[in-house]
Amino acid sequence: MSFVRNYWLSAVAIVVSAVVFLIPFSFIILMAFKDKTQAQLLDFSWPQGMHLWSNIVEVVTTRNWMLLTAFINSTILTVASVTLVVILSAMVGFVLQRRKTKFNGLIEFLILAGLMLPPAVVPTIWLLQGLGLFGKLHGLVLIEVAYSLPFSILLYRAFIATIPRELDEAAIIDGARPFDVFFRIVLPLLWPVTVTNIVVQSVAIFNDFTNPLYYLPGNANATVQLTLYNFQSQFSTSYNLLFTNIALITIPPLIVFLFFNRQIVAGMTAGAVKG
Amino acid sequence: MAGLELKSLRKSYGNVEVIKGVDLTIEHGEFVVFVGPSGCGKSTLLRMIAGLEDITGGELYIAGKLCNAVEPRDRGIAMVFQSYALYPHMTVYDNVGFGLKLAKTPKDVRDKKIRDAARILQMEHLLDRKPSQLSGGQRQRVAIGRAIVRQPEVFLFDEPLSNLDAALRVDTRMEIAKLHADLGATMVYVTHDQVEAMTLADKIVVLNAGVVQQVGAPIELYQRPANLFVAGFIGSPKMNFVSVTVEAVGARTITVTGKDLSSVAIPANPTGIKPGDTVTLGVRPHALDRNASGTIVGQVGLVERLGNETIVNLKLPSEASWLVVFDGDHDLAVGQSVALSFAPESAIIFGADGMARHPA
Amino acid sequence: MAVMTETAAAVPVVQVPKRRSPYPASFFLPAAVIYGVLFLLPTFASLYFSLTRWTLFNSTFIGLDNFAQFLREPFLIKGLINTVLYAVITSGLKVVLGLLLAVLLTSQIAARGYLRSVVFFPVLVSTVGVGITFTILMHPTQGMINEALAVIGIKGPGWLVNPSLALFSVALVDVWKGVGLATVIYIAGIVAIPKDYYEAARIDGSTKWQSFLYVTLPLCRPATVTVILLSFIGGLRTFDLIWAMTRGGPGFASDTVASVIYKQYQAGFYGLSTAGNVVLFILIAVLVVPLTMLLNRREGHE
Repeated sequence: MSFVRNYWLSAVAIVVSAVVFLIPFSFIILMAFKDKTQAQLLDFSWPQGMHLWSNIVEVVTTRNWMLLTAFINSTILTVASVTLVVILSAMVGFVLQRRKTKFNGLIEFLILAGLMLPPAVVPTIWLLQGLGLFGKLHGLVLIEVAYSLPFSILLYRAFIATIPRELDEAAIIDGARPFDVFFRIVLPLLWPVTVTNIVVQSVAIFNDFTNPLYYLPGNANATVQLTLYNFQSQFSTSYNLLFTNIALITIPPLIVFLFFNRQIVAGMTAGAVKG
Repeated sequence: MAGLELKSLRKSYGNVEVIKGVDLTIEHGEFVVFVGPSGCGKSTLLRMIAGLEDITGGELYIAGKLCNAVEPRDRGIAMVFQSYALYPHMTVYDNVGFGLKLAKTPKDVRDKKIRDAARILQMEHLLDRKPSQLSGGQRQRVAIGRAIVRQPEVFLFDEPLSNLDAALRVDTRMEIAKLHADLGATMVYVTHDQVEAMTLADKIVVLNAGVVQQVGAPIELYQRPANLFVAGFIGSPKMNFVSVTVEAVGARTITVTGKDLSSVAIPANPTGIKPGDTVTLGVRPHALDRNASGTIVGQVGLVERLGNETIVNLKLPSEASWLVVFDGDHDLAVGQSVALSFAPESAIIFGADGMARHPA
Repeated sequence: MAVMTETAAAVPVVQVPKRRSPYPASFFLPAAVIYGVLFLLPTFASLYFSLTRWTLFNSTFIGLDNFAQFLREPFLIKGLINTVLYAVITSGLKVVLGLLLAVLLTSQIAARGYLRSVVFFPVLVSTVGVGITFTILMHPTQGMINEALAVIGIKGPGWLVNPSLALFSVALVDVWKGVGLATVIYIAGIVAIPKDYYEAARIDGSTKWQSFLYVTLPLCRPATVTVILLSFIGGLRTFDLIWAMTRGGPGFASDTVASVIYKQYQAGFYGLSTAGNVVLFILIAVLVVPLTMLLNRREGHE
């Protein structure tokens, strides 16, 4: 009985999921294979002829290799921001979890505020201009770091609570200074949560659209998301190229998804059980 | 030379004082055991010596040097933790060598020291393993190896055997005793297990509620406990106590009587005690004999027959409950009356202040 | 203090300097500087600049004029209402659908791994990419959705061009993209419920539906709290999807506070834009703080 019902339930689930989730992605891929005329029909049809490679070449070379520049910028932005976030937030999470002071309450309040409140954009731009960081890639790196710190700190703090304090003490007796305790003992033990953190933050920063839009105007420093946004108007008649672009910038998250699915889910659900 | 001196050492957390002025001298090469019930402050005291806890008041000297503000790494100490605290991401070799690496010891010297320590502890075959691949006893060895390799003046042990099973605990206890004999270093050892304390220590420090109750050689603590707490804590099964009234006071004896026993003269220091006072009489379970003409009569409650000895729970007329250990096997029925006697010199009188009145 | 001096008098103590903590506060420093300068400082500055007419180079204090304008202009009020509406719709749908999907995907069902992956993957895809794709799929005449509806004889609506529908269409796409996150959070919550409870309930004669109602639902409350707060705050702050799909249009029909902030910024009304930010802070504080307290209090009663 129950086997029969599950059988039908499974079949329904697979069909519904295919319609709701697979068709939009197939549509993107099919469009990327089409030529301009066929793509303009915007329908769910099999490509006439194989135009993927010429589409890719055209998208990448257009506007003076803009997309390639954007990929390089996005890579630099992601790698630099994530590296900084990981190290800085692990340090904060470590001391915040280990040392109970009267400031902990205030620090936790500021972290929660950062999780909830949207950044005040215009004052931030004003400030970045004052610091000479507006429109600069390294300025945006610092912005992404600032916005990613709260989540990352909470993730590390929760994990560090599971590392016995006796390990720190053993290292202290062995002659370790605070930097040694952190970098030689604690940070290596944080590796599982660090992988999770790297993956989650990388996807978030690579996909970030709003912050580059505000803080990184101009074409020289465009990120892939900005480029896609700008191509939307430029390619308003060349849907094949627009969707080739979408397909191309979906590849990095896809790779991450294939290799690190478990870590991403672990990171994103952290705290769901404890609340 | 590398002794320790604690001068009215104090520790408080906020308004709560957990170590209330400890004075203690530990000679070079001595094996000292801190013992007491959980929460008595013994671990805190050890961690203050290690430098893991700040000292609120008093002075700590290690090898004659004031160490209150000295970093743990500069105190010439090594510590073995209850959970072993091995670094999970390092091999045994790296665990043992971590301190030397931090001290920037040359690689060849380091290698020799690690291998020497491994040889002493017979764990050379374990050097390439990670802690997760080791048994509890092996982890314990690595933790000791990590301490040895630093050649400390003082070894600190924080309940190192409590995570081992009973058989392994006896073996490791003997190994630690052997290590002490071989290295001749000062060792301070914390335990709540009085058997460990009795077997290992040159000197036992009994702590209760942050106050030292008594310091002395193990057998001294057993035979001449300073007060009710030490008398009750050292010795297993626990010493029996009963409240009695002083009948007469001699030059070197106190004659007591009570609901549970007829008049008996106990050798004791009678200073300050007068007839009519209420005092406590303490008798160890092993000091009591089954004797038809005995002065104490009780009714048998529980009986534990172990073959070589029999542990009997007796109910006395005053409703007090005593434990008695008889040699050999005794088949006793519940409710049966048993008469007991004891040698007066084996009993101890405690004054109303709880202090023992040992004969001079 | 009195106790301290008393002890000191009783035992002559040499006051020696304390050792430094093995957990130095200096570890906070780099993070604190970046976070303080680039997040906290602008946040506090916004409180002042929202009260000014501002050109980035000089600012004139005009009191609460910006806020008054916010409450006067119909399209700004519209943005405010839309924001709350959007947050309620998206978080509500994510809670319901996420829970249903999680129950389905933790049951004995074929192709569970495939289903979990396919539901979760959109979470990782670029919001702009999703927005553009659905803008085209939702095209009123040529879009695939309406063409498919036409096949079964339904005349599809103008998803994004009908002013009374545009916001809801964007919200649906938001749910499409974000329900996977709610689902995995619920899955983690459901998997953490010990099997004993279900066995005890079955021995007590509970049906599957009763087990869901009296075991699953109350015991995955922490997951519900996380999903609600996460998607509600996300919904209030939402900008990129709306901007990629409708730019707040048609007219001001799908504007939210976040898109209003961007539009005012583009138009050079920096003071007004910053006032929008402050309005959003207040909105989040007024709605999220009581919501959090409500959710946590009810949890305490269980």
